[in-house]
Amino acid sequence: MRARVLIVDDEAPARERLRSLLAELDQVDVIGEAVTGEEAVQRAAELAPDVVLLDVRMPGIDGIEAAKHMNVLEQPPAVIFTTAFDEYAMKAFDAQAVGYLLKPIRKEKLAAALTHAGRLSRPQLQKIADPAQARSHIAVRHREGLRLIPLGEVQFFFAEQKYTTVRHLKGEDLIEDSLRSLEDEFGTAFVRIHRNALVSVRYLEGIERNVDGQYFVRLRGCEAPLQVSRRMASELRERFRI
Amino acid sequence: MSEDESSLYLPDFCTSRAALANVLIVELTALVLTLAHENLGVGFWTDLSRTSLFLLWIGLAGAALLCWMRKPLSRLEVARGSAAVLILITALVAGISAAAYYLGRTTLVEDAGAAILFPPALGLFLVRNVAIGFVVTGIALRYFYVTHQWRRNIEMQATARVHALQARIRPHFLFNSMNTIASLTRSNPALAEEAVQDLADLFRANLSEKRDTITFEQEYEVARTYQRIEELRLGSRLRVDWKVDSLPRKALVPGLMLQPLLENAIYHGIEPQPDGGTVTVTGEMSGNLITVVVRNPVGNYESEREGNRLALANIRERLGLLYGERGLVKSGRFDNEYIVTLRFPHVEKLNES
Repeated sequence: MRARVLIVDDEAPARERLRSLLAELDQVDVIGEAVTGEEAVQRAAELAPDVVLLDVRMPGIDGIEAAKHMNVLEQPPAVIFTTAFDEYAMKAFDAQAVGYLLKPIRKEKLAAALTHAGRLSRPQLQKIADPAQARSHIAVRHREGLRLIPLGEVQFFFAEQKYTTVRHLKGEDLIEDSLRSLEDEFGTAFVRIHRNALVSVRYLEGIERNVDGQYFVRLRGCEAPLQVSRRMASELRERFRI
Repeated sequence: MSEDESSLYLPDFCTSRAALANVLIVELTALVLTLAHENLGVGFWTDLSRTSLFLLWIGLAGAALLCWMRKPLSRLEVARGSAAVLILITALVAGISAAAYYLGRTTLVEDAGAAILFPPALGLFLVRNVAIGFVVTGIALRYFYVTHQWRRNIEMQATARVHALQARIRPHFLFNSMNTIASLTRSNPALAEEAVQDLADLFRANLSEKRDTITFEQEYEVARTYQRIEELRLGSRLRVDWKVDSLPRKALVPGLMLQPLLENAIYHGIEPQPDGGTVTVTGEMSGNLITVVVRNPVGNYESEREGNRLALANIRERLGLLYGERGLVKSGRFDNEYIVTLRFPHVEKLNES
């Protein structure tokens, strides 16, 4: 079976070189190229490639975040990272036995990497990511593919039974992340107000109490106030002086 | 600078600071000698003033002698110079001791009260002072020698560090350029050839030994070479706006300062932006001062790239070494821009063949 490959790199000469190297290999079809991390995730969702050759350093969404988003696809592709020089990432890749290629890439190494390419596991992806760097987007799966919501547009996350809903400026979507993992990842920009809700500090407008003594927060751009648990109310007022 | 290369490790005794330090040390020594006296307490203050008067003579005369002899002494090698200083100072001590004795004998001998200020007999007094003078001068010389070596060591380390930093091109840039060239070799061999030549020029400039100051023209050329290589890689994402027409081409500037600043601006300001951006380089001269400003946009995607802050520290160091207080480096973020400003005095390159 021929491997269907997606090339991702922000630099044109780098993409061109990969394309010409891959053209010389058997059993490989280049099915597309992407120039940014966002585009890479979109194209991976549309084209369902077998392998993605993914540059680590890219403007906007970098390679590692792009790989995380691709991993929630129905059929996640195998990922081979490419990098010219990135000490941090290289160390992490080695530690996690994640495949990567050093630029300028040799044809033989590229061929070997393609035959061994496998899916990355979620723990692997967690570990190669720079712990100081949270994702800049939230990936939402749709019938037509994947959509990326910039974190800055997210107003709150809400958990109901098994699902997590993300409410953002353009609507509401279901995501697969748990509130707990979201809180761990975006701890400084978001605040937990209740067992079932994590709200964006950026959209926090005020806190109010109804006649029953129950606290609510108002968020910019949201009509309905969100309930605050008793335990979190005092902490919240302390922290934001509201 | 020339002083560091000569063998003379003594501090300059001609300066007023040295004279003050000299007086302080003499007074402390006098105090120690007095305190060490057997029958402490009886005539403590008399003892102290007598000893300090005597030692001040030796201290100040010694400093004057070394100040006066500085030139000839600095021509000697370390061992000979040290021996010469040792002999000179010991002779001085002997001379002043003898003078003190004879002064007491001849002029003030009638006054019984003043007599205690002077030594009763020459022999022991002279031998004791010469011995003390010899030992103390020896210790002082050893001290000056060790501190001098130590300072020289630190200076050499600093220079070495500066050189190491200068020779450093970001590996990221090197490997990406290699990758670009590998790609061009297939698609556009002529352009690949040009890129290799540019890269060679850039490394030559980076590895060059002689680069305290070079003409602005040369400096500009190095930065443009760097820009050409980065343009191959980043394409239309990179735009550089040069506003340097008002700078005299022959003005002397610190070597290899524009290229690292441009590299920083591209690495932190352009590469992280999906649509790229414009780096603006302004060069101006007002009066006798040259001002160079490099600015790059800082966007939403300002990731915490741990970059070469060393480059800026290195430029600051070099400007300080070259121009002292008159060299200035400022950097900071203003609104959506990161701005680095260099200011230093203008020196025109002399016409030489």
